[in-house]
Amino acid sequence: MIRCENLKVTFNAGLPTEKRALQGIDLEIPEKEFVTVIGSNGAGKSTLLNALAGDIRATGGRILFDEQDVTRLPATGRTRDVARVFQDPLAGTCGNMTIEENMALAWGRTSRGKLAFALNGKLRNVFREQLARLNLGLEDRLDADMGLLSGGQRQSVSLLMSALQPSRILLLDEHTAALDPKTAALIMDISRQIIEEKQLTVLMVTHSMRQALDYGSRTLMLHEGKVVFDLQGEERANYEVKDLLGLFAKARGDGEELDDDKLLLGS
Amino acid sequence: MSMFAFMGTLEIGFIYGLVAIGVYLTFRVLDFPDLTVDGSFTLGAAVAAAMIVTGFNPFLATGCAMLAGGAAGMVTAWLNLRFNILHLLASILTMTALYTINLRIMGKPNVALIMEPTILSPFETLGIPSMYLKVIVVGICALLFAGLTAFFLQTQYGLAMRATGANPRMAQANGIVTKEKIYIGLALSNGLVAIAGALFAQTNGFADSTMGIGTIVVGLAAVIVGETLFGSRNMWVIIISCLLGSILYRLAVSMALNADFLGFTASDLNFITAALVAVALILPQLRREWKARKAAREAQS
Repeated sequence: MIRCENLKVTFNAGLPTEKRALQGIDLEIPEKEFVTVIGSNGAGKSTLLNALAGDIRATGGRILFDEQDVTRLPATGRTRDVARVFQDPLAGTCGNMTIEENMALAWGRTSRGKLAFALNGKLRNVFREQLARLNLGLEDRLDADMGLLSGGQRQSVSLLMSALQPSRILLLDEHTAALDPKTAALIMDISRQIIEEKQLTVLMVTHSMRQALDYGSRTLMLHEGKVVFDLQGEERANYEVKDLLGLFAKARGDGEELDDDKLLLGS
Repeated sequence: MSMFAFMGTLEIGFIYGLVAIGVYLTFRVLDFPDLTVDGSFTLGAAVAAAMIVTGFNPFLATGCAMLAGGAAGMVTAWLNLRFNILHLLASILTMTALYTINLRIMGKPNVALIMEPTILSPFETLGIPSMYLKVIVVGICALLFAGLTAFFLQTQYGLAMRATGANPRMAQANGIVTKEKIYIGLALSNGLVAIAGALFAQTNGFADSTMGIGTIVVGLAAVIVGETLFGSRNMWVIIISCLLGSILYRLAVSMALNADFLGFTASDLNFITAALVAVALILPQLRREWKARKAAREAQS
């Protein structure tokens, strides 16, 4: 379970460029819930994910995983609980290392182990088996450079890497936004498989209203660092993309017609 | 080139091969351009020489030289990580300070080790001529540390260090404490360079306060020559190519100095170094351009 109590993040506090990215988020996400997060640019979606992952320190409030207070824990201290996939396909892997080396790194996420070769035959078999489910033929290219792979392939491997070690929380930050529609669909499909298989608690930021409603069981809308809408259950089941767009317009409060294309497009 | 000159070249090639491995750790693995090595090479020589002259065991002296070098690397890392001083500048500060520290350690600008026991002494009873013995001992040292480094870079810890240099954000998302990897990486790198300095002092019979000048260029030259000639993804090959790069670089330098028609003298060393490094950097670029032009021509016809 994830709990945020009055979570606040302020950048450049006290400077003219001060930005209050999160202005008191109260949130409780039960175990195994799949939450989609939407909101316009600068609403604080990524900041929320980064704060949960520990990349950004909270400037106020608390974050709890189960009953454990992790507010002061740095990102590296939370990796036992949290796995994540970034938006940029290049961000989740090391381009100048091989596929198997990248996977070995992710394998070591929960424990860096002894002073022995990081790779061995047994581990390679595990990696091969995992890569095979992508149907991209990567299982035969374990020693290929990550940098030679396409963005979609790299993102697929990042996703597998995030699930190599048991974790409880998966943070997906627009992880299909930089991909072509076909690859994006493939990645979403694998994400769904992994989430069901590992029974993960998930927060997925997305720009696609379609995705926000199709996946998961709950949708949050952020605006100016606050949760303005929390859709779940039956209410959410009856929601259509155009209803969400209506909410968007209301949140912005300027009655201005939204530039729908970007929000409607995408898988 | 005479056998004697060739053995001398091999010996110095192996010694600077250790420097090259150190430079590879910082410049390539950690992406941390570290100029501390100019100071830590002398530091290694100074610590070893001062201890040997005082009467300590040469092996203990060499070990202490390594620790001193590691500490110097840690100082650079600390300046950079704790106080956000630009890595290049932090390393220059440490290097500058080390110049004074080295003079203090030696107590004078130059310490002679003639007639003193060195790590070569225990092997002198084997009856191998001195010029071969030096190469064998230094070569074994270099290969030993090369093997250890190559192995280390393939362990979980080594992979974590490589990820720290390549993609720090990804490293952190995978639970890697990047600062710690930088501290350890710089300590290892400068430790290796200090061992090289200690070996140099013992095989050449002196430690001098100015002997470290240009170490970084020679180390980089070896890394680049090795990469150009043996470009590979395999860690064993990469680390061995640092050693081979260093030896080939030394061979090229001594051939340039020995070729009478070029008219170089020993004092032209720095120009030859710069020219060789430039050539090693230019050749792969020309090769790429040539290939691209050839491909374009074939596409046309």
